[in-house]
Amino acid sequence: MTITIDRRIYNDSVISKALYWLSGDYLIERSLSDNNTESVTITANSATDISETELETRLMQTLNDFKLRQIVADETRDIKTILYAKAFAEDEDLSEEDIHD
Amino acid sequence: MTDKEYYLLPFDFTEISGKEVLVNELGDMIISPKGTVQKIVDRSLPKDDLYKSLVANFFISEQIVPPLAEIYAERLREKKRFLESWTGLHIFVLTLRCNQNCVYCQASSQNEESNGCTMSKETMEKSVELMFRSPSDSITMEFQGGEPSLVPDIFEYGIQLAEEINKTEQKEIHYVLCTNSIHLTDRMLDICEKYGVVISTSLDGPAFLHNANRGKKDSYERVVAGIERGRQAVGNEKVSALMTTSVEGLNYPIEIVDEYVKLGFHAMFLRALNPYGLATHNDNWSEYTDRFIDFYKKAFEHILELNKKGTYFVEEFAAIVLRKMLTPYCTGFVDLQSPAGVINSVLIYNYDGGVYCSDESRMLAEFNDYTFRLGSVDDKYEDLVFGKKAKEIANVWANEALAGCSDCALKQYCGADPVRNYSTQGDMYGNRATSLLCRKNKAIIEYLISLIIERHDEVMPIFRSWVS
Repeated sequence: MTITIDRRIYNDSVISKALYWLSGDYLIERSLSDNNTESVTITANSATDISETELETRLMQTLNDFKLRQIVADETRDIKTILYAKAFAEDEDLSEEDIHD
Repeated sequence: MTDKEYYLLPFDFTEISGKEVLVNELGDMIISPKGTVQKIVDRSLPKDDLYKSLVANFFISEQIVPPLAEIYAERLREKKRFLESWTGLHIFVLTLRCNQNCVYCQASSQNEESNGCTMSKETMEKSVELMFRSPSDSITMEFQGGEPSLVPDIFEYGIQLAEEINKTEQKEIHYVLCTNSIHLTDRMLDICEKYGVVISTSLDGPAFLHNANRGKKDSYERVVAGIERGRQAVGNEKVSALMTTSVEGLNYPIEIVDEYVKLGFHAMFLRALNPYGLATHNDNWSEYTDRFIDFYKKAFEHILELNKKGTYFVEEFAAIVLRKMLTPYCTGFVDLQSPAGVINSVLIYNYDGGVYCSDESRMLAEFNDYTFRLGSVDDKYEDLVFGKKAKEIANVWANEALAGCSDCALKQYCGADPVRNYSTQGDMYGNRATSLLCRKNKAIIEYLISLIIERHDEVMPIFRSWVS
């Protein structure tokens, strides 16, 4: 099965994380069709009960979930650093000014 | 308030039982309708009770830095408190000799009559000295084998050394004897009684199953007799038992639980086989893992029924996960920690003087694999716990920084295990997509959350009683 993914919607990190979870059961080949389009060919390692439609649905859901996780991670990177520094770096005195909004 | 309306705080999410389960860095969990995370990110959440709950539980903040950031930081610190206390569990492998022939032996035990493979007095002295170098105020000295009751002299000597040194060190010390209870002589029991040693024995279920696992016809009778003698010597509360689910045992979840209840235990740990020692001969670990998950759920349902009928009985793996989920505290369970329990929480002093970072790593050494050998009892403490090998392991011991774990909503309830990754997948980093440990832990944790979602009023009183 080959599906195309628009890299303007899902960046490389999101695609990689989503495909990671398929790598146990499937052989995955990635190639760039053009700057914005990636082709992903997925071949089952062994006989499977999962249809191509089910697999594509699952992959698209996983891509969407990882995209949401990426947004949360990007928006919280600085506050996460501040909170961890407050918790574990005793001399750190980070505040609101350290957040790059 | 800016045009963003609110700010996100770090959290992850997964779908369980048709709900979106959100988990933040503190391990707090919110169960919400599907689509909630999209609404949070889009800033399209209505200001209803869910919104208030997300603010109150540190998932979103109406200010760029949450007004209770100091409390957040303190709670974060509490979740990793086990790091502050340093290595607390010190395991002494007294001998590889054993008087049983367990089909799943993970410790590469030797015949009872074999020579060698027993810790010398000199090794014990150096090991105890190293143990006291740990900064931890509270230490547990655990004796393992083989079967440690076969070597009472070195067992007693180790405790006497610890008692003597502790006259000046003044640490809180606990002693644990891990024994199959087959050979609990009067002398062994006298030592246990004198020093308040906790007896941790092993029982795999009813007689037919236990005897088959142990390769002996009378093992069950002798273990039960040993448990009774142990209870008389040190008290009921200081005798516990641990089961290992052999392939045959997978067929008897109800019978195994009932056996523990019959013998007067109030808790059990439904423990899967570990892929070390003889257990590596199991030829289909994937099938075993799936069958174990099914076994676990059947046994757990039976335990829930017992509790509902008034019998207080705890499944300890679930209790550890639930404690992480439902309380602000961390647990001392080394297998579900991040950073991993290896070195941080446990050190092993092997009979031959080798120092290892976990019980499983010394088992690998019996197959001439010394990857996790930190050094020997002749080395300095600092060279062992801060040395090159320790630093190598430290690169891969936090699930917050591992592919497949770092984005997992359940990572707060799970742990990193570089030794298991290495032994089953060939490298310490591991691959979560093919990891059977990941499959098992995830399935059980998701199962516990599904019970909270689908049968909240039924299970929560039981779960709360287990973690209080």
